[in-house]
Amino acid sequence: MFAEVFSIAFQFADVFAFLILAAAGLAIIFGMMGIINMAHGEFITCGIYVTVISVQHGVPLLLAQFLGALTAGLVGIALERTVIRHLYHRPLDSILATWGISLMVTQGMLVLLGSSWQGIGTPLGSFKVGDYTFSAYRLALFGAALGVLAGLYLIFMRTGYGVMARATMQNAEMAKALGVRTERMYAISFGMGAALAGLCGALYAPTMTLIPTMGVTFIIESFVTVVVGGANVLLGTAPAGILLAVVRTALNAWYGQIAGQIGLLITVIIVIRILPEGVSGWLSRRER
Amino acid sequence: MTAILETRALNKHFGGLSAVSDVSLEIAAGEIHCLIGPNGAGKSTLFKLVAGTYAPSAGEVLFRGENITRRKPYERVGRGMSIKLQVPSVFRELPVAQNLEISLQRKSSGRAMEREKERLLEFLQLQDDAAKPAGILSHGQQQWLEIGMALALQPTLLLLDEPTAGMSPVETERTGDMIQRLNAQGMTMLVVEHDMTFVRQIAQRITVLHLGRVFAQGGTDTIIADPRVEEIYLGKGHVG
Amino acid sequence: MPPMLRRLNGPQTMGNGRAFWLGFAAVLVIALGYPALSDPYDVGNVAYLLIFTLTALGLSLMWGYAGMFSFGQTAFFGVAGYSYGVISINLGASGALTLLCLLGGIAVAALFALLLGYFLIYGRVSGVFFGIVTFATTLALAAFFGQTAGPEWAIGKARFNGFNGMIGMPPLELPWFGEDITLEGNALYYFVLVLLLAIYLGLRVLVNSRFGNVLVAIREDPLRTELLGYDVRKYQLAAFVIGSSLAALSGVLYTAWGQFIPPASMGLPAAAMPIIWVAFSGRQDLTATVVGTFLLLLMFQTITVYSQQYALILMGFLLLLTVLLVPAGFVHGIGRFLGRIGRRDKAGSSS
Repeated sequence: MFAEVFSIAFQFADVFAFLILAAAGLAIIFGMMGIINMAHGEFITCGIYVTVISVQHGVPLLLAQFLGALTAGLVGIALERTVIRHLYHRPLDSILATWGISLMVTQGMLVLLGSSWQGIGTPLGSFKVGDYTFSAYRLALFGAALGVLAGLYLIFMRTGYGVMARATMQNAEMAKALGVRTERMYAISFGMGAALAGLCGALYAPTMTLIPTMGVTFIIESFVTVVVGGANVLLGTAPAGILLAVVRTALNAWYGQIAGQIGLLITVIIVIRILPEGVSGWLSRRER
Repeated sequence: MTAILETRALNKHFGGLSAVSDVSLEIAAGEIHCLIGPNGAGKSTLFKLVAGTYAPSAGEVLFRGENITRRKPYERVGRGMSIKLQVPSVFRELPVAQNLEISLQRKSSGRAMEREKERLLEFLQLQDDAAKPAGILSHGQQQWLEIGMALALQPTLLLLDEPTAGMSPVETERTGDMIQRLNAQGMTMLVVEHDMTFVRQIAQRITVLHLGRVFAQGGTDTIIADPRVEEIYLGKGHVG
Repeated sequence: MPPMLRRLNGPQTMGNGRAFWLGFAAVLVIALGYPALSDPYDVGNVAYLLIFTLTALGLSLMWGYAGMFSFGQTAFFGVAGYSYGVISINLGASGALTLLCLLGGIAVAALFALLLGYFLIYGRVSGVFFGIVTFATTLALAAFFGQTAGPEWAIGKARFNGFNGMIGMPPLELPWFGEDITLEGNALYYFVLVLLLAIYLGLRVLVNSRFGNVLVAIREDPLRTELLGYDVRKYQLAAFVIGSSLAALSGVLYTAWGQFIPPASMGLPAAAMPIIWVAFSGRQDLTATVVGTFLLLLMFQTITVYSQQYALILMGFLLLLTVLLVPAGFVHGIGRFLGRIGRRDKAGSSS
């Protein structure tokens, strides 16, 4: 009995971790700049790729993962300065432009790197509860997701950057008038969003078979989580993660993987209809 | 005779804030009724309650005797109201002439519509700009265009929210002339305004709002002469 | 001239002058004579490309004219295609019955559009979120159809077949004196051409009419339009159903053409293609959309022969370029440029 319950709890934690890690970067960019970054999946792939290559060259896993996140972040900053800066608060155009970039990068990688890469093994082995076997690494990922949430909370609530970032998110014009260098804010935030995406990739690299189009696996879940969560990362992403993880886990258990994915999509449709500004919009309205 | 517009004990609150309390007014046919009051008095809210963009928390709105409290804005317009909002909202990317057409096509078509369009363009003094995108008109001209679009619906009641906002004195006076000419042809109007000179020029009856309630109501001369009205305006405006 | 024909020209379409219509006539003549000048394979191919321009026209109406960003064209494409398959396989259709199945397929998709549109439009979902929800719907449908592999997934005699797609439906047949004409090869080409012509001209009249005026007004400022007495939601729903039905027509024609409809026609990257065609061409104009979509598809097809990756890279690049440089669309930009030259010439010759 306990094993059953643990199994379900584990699956929930697994899905929750995936959603949070996948969505965090996208949520920051959306909340800060009103941009929906369809190239998000490519930053994740960047993180995966750099991590895998590093490990294959002998770099220890943790360091390799750090490198993956860092690289994605730097690429993000570069992209922001060149292309993204023209798209602030133009959600429709940002979807189209980043979609174009995503197409180019994914297909470009297929051309340059071929259609499958050698993977790296999953560390930390497994453990048993009752009749079920679980991956210890995936449990660690749950810890990582919680860590990311805690880290974001600390950054946004306790640092200078965080104060300025929240001001800019609330009212960019006002923030600029108060001396906040909004251009730098955007560049740093986009970089952070990209780095988080890279981190997500880096963390999941040891668990997946690697193909250049794997960004797609992440994009739908992250997308759905951000839309359900709303523009406020702190208020919205975690509750959205919980809600969607429940839906996903339940449907996966009863009807299988595809039903789980369809369930997520249907949840998005319903949430937008009922709570147009997502969970965070609803929560902040209630506080008033 | 039935009033064209009547509000009965209209109430609107947002959360804890009461924007409009217990406001009743009546506008007879052919009357120019002005709504005045200091900032935050609730004029815009009341205007939106009459137009239908806000639903009241309590109270009723009657148009030509019919209770329209539950009706959406487009239904009210269909019944003969015409609305010009405070912020000029013409179709900026579309040509001036097309702006008028979109309004006109509700009531006429073909050659009759073309003639009416020419007449309106002349009335608004916009003939030379007919083919240009409405966004390039000056602020005052955009206001006139919007009044023109409201007129094109051949309304029974014209609602104007601060029609002279942002206009120069010359433009303001021309707007006053326009309004008086329309009224001479029998048009009933509810006008929200800040500019007291303008109000004096056009108003026949006035409702003064203060803190969401009716502070005073009556004929223009009575209200203008009332010293209490002068007092409720912060730093007395151009009364007189 | 009867009032409807006058509406072929108007404020919502580029190309209203004599030069344009002469060019149009020339293109039409070439299009009609094309099968005589080329081989059946190419003709079938051009028909295939023309089928997709119908989807693009539908999206142009919804997005370019009414301002509704619908990511759902391929969803209706697929639903109509599968519906045609189900109906025609079960009825054992042939002859005129296949045309009834065509209408049936479109009707199912149109009904679905009506329901989805009602849900969204009357629920005040708009802007980007309209796109997001239609996107989610399309992906959900594609995923659903993709997992219909087992034999239990069938309606009557029509099996869905999961990822491999539904097969075995009959081609369209036109009833004719003596023998029915099967719509393939040249016959299909002419059928599609005539349909496209009728729809293009019909849409021109529609967008230049009062209905079209209201659509662009809604696109510019929905609140203002409502304050002019229009029930905005009714117009938006109408535009959504019409635009989605055009995608449905595409879907049925495609299915009848290849006797095959897979979930891949609905999922990614297919779902993004109509958006790219229309954004690149110039969504606010019907002619720009048709011309641009056809040329893009032709180019895409040519490059795909060598490498699908390069074709998609190019599409992505063009999309990026469009957003950054010519948001109104390249073909649209070229059209306006030509229009300006035309006016300058006229001014020059009159002085």
